[in-house]
Amino acid sequence: MDDKYWGIEDEVEDNLTKSIEIELLLEGIYRLSGFDFRQYMRSSIWRRIQNRMRLDKIPTVTRLLEKAVHEPGYIDVLLNDFSINVTEMFRDPHFFYSFRKKVVPHLRDLPEIRIWHAGCATGEEVFSMAILMEEEGLSHKTKIYATDMNENVLEKAKRGIFPLSKMQTYTKNYMQAGGTHAFSEYYTTDFKNAYFNSSLKDNIIFFQHNLVTDQSFNEFHVIICRNVLIYFTAVLQNQVHELFYESLCPGGFLGLGDKESIRFAERTGSYSEFNGAERIYRKI
Amino acid sequence: MLKNKRFSIRSKIVFGNLIVVLCLVISIIAVNNQMASLQRERNYIIHHDLTVYDLTSRIEKRLLDMETGQRGFIITGNKDYLVPYNTAASKWKDEYSQLYDLLSDNPGQQKKLEEIKSTIEHWINTSGEPTIQLKKANHTEELNRFFKTDIGRRDMDQMRSQFDTFRSKEKALTKARADRLDHQNLLLKFGLFGLLLLLSIISIAIAVVVSGSIVKTINEVVRTIKQMTTSRGNIEGRIQVKTKDEIRDLGEATNALVEVLAQRNWLQTNIAETIAMYQGISSLDALTERFVTGITKVTNASFGALYLREEKGETIRYVKKAAYADSLNDVGRESFILGQGMIGQCALEQQMHVINDIPGEYRLITSGLGEIRPRNLLIAPILLEGETIAVIEMASLHEFTALEQSLVREVLDSFGLAMNSVIGRMEIERLLKESQAMTEELQAQSEELQTQSEELNMQSEELRMINEQLEERTEEAEERSLELEKAKEELEEKARQLTLSSKYKSEFMANMSHELRTPLNSILILSEMLAENTSGSLTEEEAEFARVIHSSGKDLLSLINDILDLSKVEAGKLDMMFNEMNMSELPVQLERNFSHIAKQKGLEFSIMKDSNVPDIFHTDEKRFQQIMKNLLSNAFKFTESGSVSVTIRQAEESHVDRWLTTKGAEYWLEIAVKDTGIGIPKDKQGLVFEAFQQADGATVRKYGGTGLGLSICREFVHLLGGRIILQSEEGKGSTFILYLPSLPNGMAHRDEPVETAVEVAAAELSEMEMREVGASIFNDETSFALPAESSVFKGKNVLIVDDDNRNIFALKTALQNEGMNIVIANNGIECLNIIKEKQDFDIILMDIMMPVMDGYETMRKIRGNPSFEDLPIIALTAKAMRNDREKCLEAGASDYISKPLELEQLFSVMRVWLTR
Repeated sequence: MDDKYWGIEDEVEDNLTKSIEIELLLEGIYRLSGFDFRQYMRSSIWRRIQNRMRLDKIPTVTRLLEKAVHEPGYIDVLLNDFSINVTEMFRDPHFFYSFRKKVVPHLRDLPEIRIWHAGCATGEEVFSMAILMEEEGLSHKTKIYATDMNENVLEKAKRGIFPLSKMQTYTKNYMQAGGTHAFSEYYTTDFKNAYFNSSLKDNIIFFQHNLVTDQSFNEFHVIICRNVLIYFTAVLQNQVHELFYESLCPGGFLGLGDKESIRFAERTGSYSEFNGAERIYRKI
Repeated sequence: MLKNKRFSIRSKIVFGNLIVVLCLVISIIAVNNQMASLQRERNYIIHHDLTVYDLTSRIEKRLLDMETGQRGFIITGNKDYLVPYNTAASKWKDEYSQLYDLLSDNPGQQKKLEEIKSTIEHWINTSGEPTIQLKKANHTEELNRFFKTDIGRRDMDQMRSQFDTFRSKEKALTKARADRLDHQNLLLKFGLFGLLLLLSIISIAIAVVVSGSIVKTINEVVRTIKQMTTSRGNIEGRIQVKTKDEIRDLGEATNALVEVLAQRNWLQTNIAETIAMYQGISSLDALTERFVTGITKVTNASFGALYLREEKGETIRYVKKAAYADSLNDVGRESFILGQGMIGQCALEQQMHVINDIPGEYRLITSGLGEIRPRNLLIAPILLEGETIAVIEMASLHEFTALEQSLVREVLDSFGLAMNSVIGRMEIERLLKESQAMTEELQAQSEELQTQSEELNMQSEELRMINEQLEERTEEAEERSLELEKAKEELEEKARQLTLSSKYKSEFMANMSHELRTPLNSILILSEMLAENTSGSLTEEEAEFARVIHSSGKDLLSLINDILDLSKVEAGKLDMMFNEMNMSELPVQLERNFSHIAKQKGLEFSIMKDSNVPDIFHTDEKRFQQIMKNLLSNAFKFTESGSVSVTIRQAEESHVDRWLTTKGAEYWLEIAVKDTGIGIPKDKQGLVFEAFQQADGATVRKYGGTGLGLSICREFVHLLGGRIILQSEEGKGSTFILYLPSLPNGMAHRDEPVETAVEVAAAELSEMEMREVGASIFNDETSFALPAESSVFKGKNVLIVDDDNRNIFALKTALQNEGMNIVIANNGIECLNIIKEKQDFDIILMDIMMPVMDGYETMRKIRGNPSFEDLPIIALTAKAMRNDREKCLEAGASDYISKPLELEQLFSVMRVWLTR
């Protein structure tokens, strides 16, 4: 009776053929590459597929699958398409402000602070966190684990080089996030890029980790996973929340994206709302 | 009989009071009697004793009156004195007898009184009467005599003393009586107090007994009520009253009330329990399940089922949602339509139906051991806002009591609301979930769009860069063309002078080479002759020297020839002589001229000529031959192994037309000279046609040559209206392709094709570049061309607002070195004035601590102007001030940087803010 209300995927399901095609494509990608998009939101995947089909002028999803199977390297194109890497430094500055003012005091007395950025994309938020912890005088005992399933973006993240054209926004964000220094102290520039001080990278560990298929690898005091779960179905979201729950120490903090919520997850009872507006939750 | 008689509280109180009143009456009577006797006693004392005293005194006075009257008469003889005497004599006896009577109870006193009487009578008889008679008879002597003895006097004294005795006796009596009275009074007082005490005791005793009996029962009632009050919910206890009074009534009434309360309590407890049961449930299934189970248990029914309204089009069905004691889902029908059967009717009528003692067959209640038929049935609708939203049916082995029925009724009322609220809550939950999903979806979409737009941005950025580059180039070209225009004018002037001097120079060169050739010829001839050594006078070594001189001389000659040609071309002195040329001979000629070199170097040499090449070709044959010779010599010179080939064919008009505009061409020849030699690197290909240029110095050293050959070729080709193109790959060989027109009427305009060729070449170049750049767009984002470092800063207008001249100087110098234009303002007001005048600043560097108007104020003022909203302002703050950051932000700074300034950091920040 309630099923009809869960019709966001209607447009996909309307067309049975298309639905089958997409399933086959995702199955194919999974079998070929090990990347599992089968539990991703179909609507989102479908748009990415449409985008690729438009760009490469491919009429059907099956043709796309054919290319993925037979054309070397094409699967990487698709994987790249499916991985959305939208991020910026101090994204939603008020989140970082709140983190600095409210969460950091709880971390201050820990002998070691482990922070996991799950789905870090090109690493802007990771560097933001590193700057924040440095300014709070905690960098010496902070370890930031930055993971993403996409190795390409991880490589970019490791470099800590961000385009000059975005630095104006980042500077504004930094200031709004309660930065206590001049942002320019953390980077040098050339005519094209800003190069962040490599000392920031001292406490960051970058490595590949797939939230869908991989297991917990440590116990953390903070897990930041912002705007990643929006691409997942409720089932997968629950699965990932389970993973986060396993990976958080008691009293640990979970930071989600500003449009996300833990309210409908099965794990919702295991967290208290630490700062509802900024989507910061605390494991009970 | 007596035992069952009511002995009400009223009777108890009246009875008690009666006893007290009785006692009181008895006491009052007693006291009254006592008081009456006292009264009598007192009256007696007052009346009797006073009369006694009065009579005594009166008798005494009578006697004295008689004596006085006797004496007065005797003395005076006046009979008037006898009046009191007579009165007294007649009266005293009466008084005496009165007194005597009064003393009748006291014979002692009576005796004394008799003695007094006898004394008085003695006096009268002995003194009174005789003296009066004597007087009346005027017997003075006798009288005198009489008085000489005066016996009367003795009587009188005796009488007086008798009276005194009598009186004192009487006084003593009176006193004794008063004493007795006092005593009696005292007794009465004690009696009264005693009575009061007794009455009090009696009345208290009665009060205690009566109130005791009342209070005892009341207490019992109260205790029971209290017990019921304190033990909430449990009001099983009843009031036990043994008395037969109003309290018993109260107790019984209370018991009845308690009974009602207990029922209501049961009702309410069960209602509350049932309601509490479905508190906090958020799913309809769980709610109905729990409800059916709960209510069935409470009413001791054996099974129950709940049907929920479902609307499908016109028909309203009620579908089973939950059941109790449902064995394998077989309790009752799965659904029914409104009005169908008893249950449907109930839903329609919205009335509760209770059927007791169902006759005949009915559903069986299954137990472990067997099946029992239920006897009673309850069907009730669940209403909400006048609509039957559900129906519940229960079957039971016992009859549904009124209480159970009212429980069902009450519970159903609230259950309707609960269902509604659960449905509402589920709806809200669902909507919330949906909206959360939507929000996430939107976020995902927006990120995807951002990704797409970033991809697009990147592409458009690349295109923009390309565009910018092109624009820049166009601008440069325009600028250059302007400059050129100017230069051209100057040059034209100079050219005129130069033409003249060039003419002189070329003439000089021509003459010079001619003059040089003359002696050189002699050297050549003579050295050749020497080398032949016909006379044999020279040693072998000397002959060799001569050969060297000859060969060097030949080189020198060819160099001079080349220079001559070139200078002639440059001086415009070289005239082309267009004539008919027999093309059919060309291969043979070339073969003849170069086959020996080919043989010498061991190279393959082939000449191909298409059959469609016309025999007659109009050109300057001499120059044509020279070109061919140069090209072939080059080819052989730079080829160590492999082959050299010449291909001659007619060029396609259309192909040539594209970039050659030579007019009047009959047809075009395409001659390709191809070798497998060392080739020419790409970057050097443009240079080989320049005079005195070869691919590199090493080439010169290895292969010799002046490097003029190709320049001459090119110049000649131009003069002939054609074009030469080089295709070469380093290490693999080169191909020179010659396009030449057959011009029967000679060249129309000599300059044009050269210029055109250059333009076309430029166009071609940019086309190629475009292709290259275009390709790079899709390769790697980092590879596309970007403005050079200097262009970020170059020409940017910077306003420095600072009052410290040292700072200004340092900044100005540093920034000017980067090609920026600097304007200085010494304070905020100056700054505002400057930007009012000149609005095209790219960035402002703003010191905070300034006189007149500080940096914060200035920034606020600047930001107040909408056209400067996005103008980057970098605040220069002193590190010492803690809250600078907030203040800068608040004032509208785009960024800030701490003093002392580090140049690299400043440049970094400026790059960030100057990047558009």
